Amino acid sequence: MSDEDSSGWQLTESDPGVFTELLKRLGVPYIVDDLYSLEPESLAALQPIHALIFLFKWFPESPDDEPSVSAGHYDSDFPGFFAHQTVNNACATLAVVNALGNIASLPAGPQFMDLMNFTTGMDPQTCGMAITSADWLREAHNALSPPSAISLDGLDLPKKSEEAYHFVVYLPVLGSLYELDGLKPYPVRHGEYEESGEGWVKKAREVIEERIHTYPTGALEFSLLALRDDPLPGMRRRLDALQGSSADVELSDLMNKIANENSKRERWAFENSSRRHNHIGLVHALLLALAKAGKLDSAKADAQRVMQERLERQRAMRS
Amino acid sequence: MSVDLTSTSGRTILAFKAGRAFRRAGTNFVDASPTKGAIVLTNEDGLIHFMWKDRTTGEVGEDLILFPGDAKLEKVTQSSWGRTYVLKFESSDQKHFFWLQDSSALRDEEFVTNLNRTLADPNIIAIWDARNVYPASEASTSAAGPSTSQPSTVPPIAPATSDSTPAGTTPEQLAQLRGIVSSMTGFASEDELWLTDVLSSQNLLPLFQSHPELLTSLFPHLPPELIPSPDATPQQVIEVLQRTTNSPPFRSAVAQLDRALRTGALGEFVRSLGLPESAATGVGAFLAAIAEQARQEGGTEERMEED
Repeated sequence: MSDEDSSGWQLTESDPGVFTELLKRLGVPYIVDDLYSLEPESLAALQPIHALIFLFKWFPESPDDEPSVSAGHYDSDFPGFFAHQTVNNACATLAVVNALGNIASLPAGPQFMDLMNFTTGMDPQTCGMAITSADWLREAHNALSPPSAISLDGLDLPKKSEEAYHFVVYLPVLGSLYELDGLKPYPVRHGEYEESGEGWVKKAREVIEERIHTYPTGALEFSLLALRDDPLPGMRRRLDALQGSSADVELSDLMNKIANENSKRERWAFENSSRRHNHIGLVHALLLALAKAGKLDSAKADAQRVMQERLERQRAMRS
Repeated sequence: MSVDLTSTSGRTILAFKAGRAFRRAGTNFVDASPTKGAIVLTNEDGLIHFMWKDRTTGEVGEDLILFPGDAKLEKVTQSSWGRTYVLKFESSDQKHFFWLQDSSALRDEEFVTNLNRTLADPNIIAIWDARNVYPASEASTSAAGPSTSQPSTVPPIAPATSDSTPAGTTPEQLAQLRGIVSSMTGFASEDELWLTDVLSSQNLLPLFQSHPELLTSLFPHLPPELIPSPDATPQQVIEVLQRTTNSPPFRSAVAQLDRALRTGALGEFVRSLGLPESAATGVGAFLAAIAEQARQEGGTEERMEED
């Protein structure tokens, strides 16, 4: 039985499946997808995109190496929603909230709407504290993370923990592209974008690519995520409309897309279940089953053999 | 996100329950703080961290990086209660007071001795004497590894750097000790093994395929949403089991248990699994206890080992 860490925020993985599950718990019918490229075709396939989330870990050669991000200007009169990151482990949820808080006519559950009403007019710091004090939000967030390390009557042995990524949100507000970074004093305004054609994502591409290039090669580990409408309902409606029609190509293309989307959701559901589960009981049960099947000794012998091979390789490398 | 199973950074060497005590200002009195805590020794990239953690919140209250030979945990003899210790330093006047919180005082000396040996020389690994946790006079396996079966007199072990053979050590034990000692530097003896390799997919798949009747015992331990329905086909059951045992969270749990078993602190945990406390003295002892549990529960096949 693990001790529930109910006093704080647990570190979550930064995975589209985790983010999408969080959105579900907030009552928001959007999904989050991995973006593998910022090229127009890739982005077009995911439209409408409400926000881009840039997550990164940065490995400096020296502490003074941080590139000064000079693009854009702080907007201390930002009219939208902006919260500071006051708890490190909450960074993923905070980024999502910063994005959602600026989406006009956002469909969302009552708790989230109440939170937005409650924080209206607050300064970024107070807003950040209000967000991280919302028990229901913290519980929704923690429900997505792995259970605590093996807890032995409170003697939590440290598990190897992931370092937190840093999250930055890019989205359009009132005709300009904004960058929301919970560790910066204010939102950063990157200027106006053209509504026509690709719209705001074109400007976002320029700004993000420029940012990536300011880091020395190999020093930056990053991912891009897109916060977008859930495409499944629309695709299913279209599929129904096409039934019995002669638009074979479109029909089979659509069915492929739906199948892909469903298998992706299934994978996310599996990973989320797996992530939340304490597997220690299963480890014991498996070892017991191996023993009952008379296979434990040979499994041990196999493990010893593998270890020997591993050591041989290590010794060979060191000599 | 993949988990690096071979990294040793942040590895817990040992841990035991302890509270802190603080000097009352202007006096020589030390008052115990009731907070439940633990002393945790970790090795992070070759540096020894002596930490005190609050067991109710998980917060680290103290994190000291100690140089080999600088610090020692000594018993406070003036304490009539008898379980108060002070961490003292050669290099400074700093003192940190602790009181041991394990419900039984039987292992106090063992914990403290192992701690001090590690603080003196981080290349020493703690040796847990199974007789201290399983005091009955029946034969107890030495803590060292899976292949020692005779009752052994495991005397206080001399530091790894000395060449003298501790009196009463069998050649087997010596080999194991050398192996265990060298495991701190990344090498291991023939008897060293990792749980992750015992539970490799190569070892599990034959179990899934040849013993379907044993698989239902695994269902209660699966993530609830993934438990196969009663009308699932054998193939579907195997698929769920394979997918789960290949998943990063499962692999991570195995690696965590492996690391935790090497700290000697899992007494209560192994008891919760229905195993004797001696199962907490290492991976080998854990596996041996499970083999015994299987025998007791019946259904163990008494036949030639398959290969």
